[in-house]
Amino acid sequence: MSDRITVEELSELMRKAAGVTVPPEELEQQYDTTFDVLGIDSLGLLGVVGELEKRYGAALPPDAERSKTPRQFLDLVNGALVAGA
Amino acid sequence: MSEPQPRRAAVTGIGVVAPNGHSTESFWKSTQEGLSVLDRITREGCDHMPLHVAGEVRGFEAGTAVEERILVQTDRFTHFALTAADAALDDARLGRADTDQDPFSVGVVTAAGSGGGEFGQRELEQLWGKGSRYVGPYQSIAWFYAASTGQISIRRGYKGPCSVVAADEAGGLDALAHAARAVRRGTDVLVAGATEAPIAPYSMVCQLGYEELSTEADPDRAYRPFTDAACGFVPAEGGAMLVVEDERTARERGARVRALIAGHAATFTGASRWAETRQGLAQAIAGALQEAGCAPGEVDAVFADALGVPEADRAEALAIADALGAHGARIPVTAPKTGIGRGFCAASVLDTAAAVLAMEHGLIPPTPNVFDVSHDLDLVTVRARPAELRTVLVLSRGLMGSNSALVLRRATAGAE
Repeated sequence: MSDRITVEELSELMRKAAGVTVPPEELEQQYDTTFDVLGIDSLGLLGVVGELEKRYGAALPPDAERSKTPRQFLDLVNGALVAGA
Repeated sequence: MSEPQPRRAAVTGIGVVAPNGHSTESFWKSTQEGLSVLDRITREGCDHMPLHVAGEVRGFEAGTAVEERILVQTDRFTHFALTAADAALDDARLGRADTDQDPFSVGVVTAAGSGGGEFGQRELEQLWGKGSRYVGPYQSIAWFYAASTGQISIRRGYKGPCSVVAADEAGGLDALAHAARAVRRGTDVLVAGATEAPIAPYSMVCQLGYEELSTEADPDRAYRPFTDAACGFVPAEGGAMLVVEDERTARERGARVRALIAGHAATFTGASRWAETRQGLAQAIAGALQEAGCAPGEVDAVFADALGVPEADRAEALAIADALGAHGARIPVTAPKTGIGRGFCAASVLDTAAAVLAMEHGLIPPTPNVFDVSHDLDLVTVRARPAELRTVLVLSRGLMGSNSALVLRRATAGAE
């Protein structure tokens, strides 16, 4: 497992936890689109965070679930994972 | 100078997902033919229980009507509600373009007795099997009684009065009455009704304690109210949503007014005290007739609660006689739910849908599986009976003691 969350992984988690399908290549184009616009509500993002915490066996920063966009989310989560490694 | 006309609540749309049909048309066809679809329970994980027969909604594909994003956060009872609401709104020809103009003029009211038991069970199994981190966040909303009201209103962008009636099985009628009152108070449209999905292991275990539940394994014999062979009721899933609308607004936009919700009343007589429902139900009927400005002799048919417990059946037959007088023994009574089971709160909303369709078709549907009636009732059995129906009474009682009556009037063309 990579120690960084890829756009592919985020795309898969969005589908699994929130039922929202955005293919990775499309998600890359929409890095700064808000989760809201992508169709992910706060509980959906909380579900994505929960899946990641189980996968990595570590708590993510509490701000993760408050991220507004995929870019913010990946920056924050990957920063935390690198710092924790 | 004349007083302003009081607002009247009209039914302009019907959406059904029932054990005997996934659309209003197929539901009515099966209902008027007296088809019984009660059968051995096939849902996974239910085969070891002392409850064998139910009315299952088979072959229902939630994904046809509901998008993936909503599916992952909702239980089967909400899938039924969203599907039925879509069908009702299509029937009423009310699309987003119509309701977006004034979202505050549209509200939602549902009743639920069982909630999202299947979703809840799955998440609780995660909690006790793996740990709290494995419980998904949507557990917080999916199994809640209010889930269907919330999801319908959010999905459609409605901002009018939204509520949930938690009032036992009779809550189905109470939700429709609540919608009618909201319309009379000034809201133009209410999407109202009830759906249930109690045929799953956890939800079934919750019901096993009801002594009124039929444990008979033969589908043809499991639910036969008003007979000497009555041995309890059979549960069911599915339900119906109606569009309830201000009559004048509806006619102005060219909608078809299918019926009027004219009167309602509810009483409470305590859990499983069936003999006392004679008085409670009679009083509910009297109250509903009074609100409708309807004389007992004007009632053309009764859709009975028909619990299938001898003491309760006797009380209901007597309540009809008490409330309607000599007319009560002559009036046709029916209980089409013996062909599909009792879907808790959804049962009386399906009865209301059937009653509206019965008025439109001039046909009282029969009571499947019931032949030798042992009460002084003119119960419609075997085949549908043609009748001119202007006013129909729908009755409902809950296992926890609620009694409700709803009076429906046929929409007269003359009012247009």
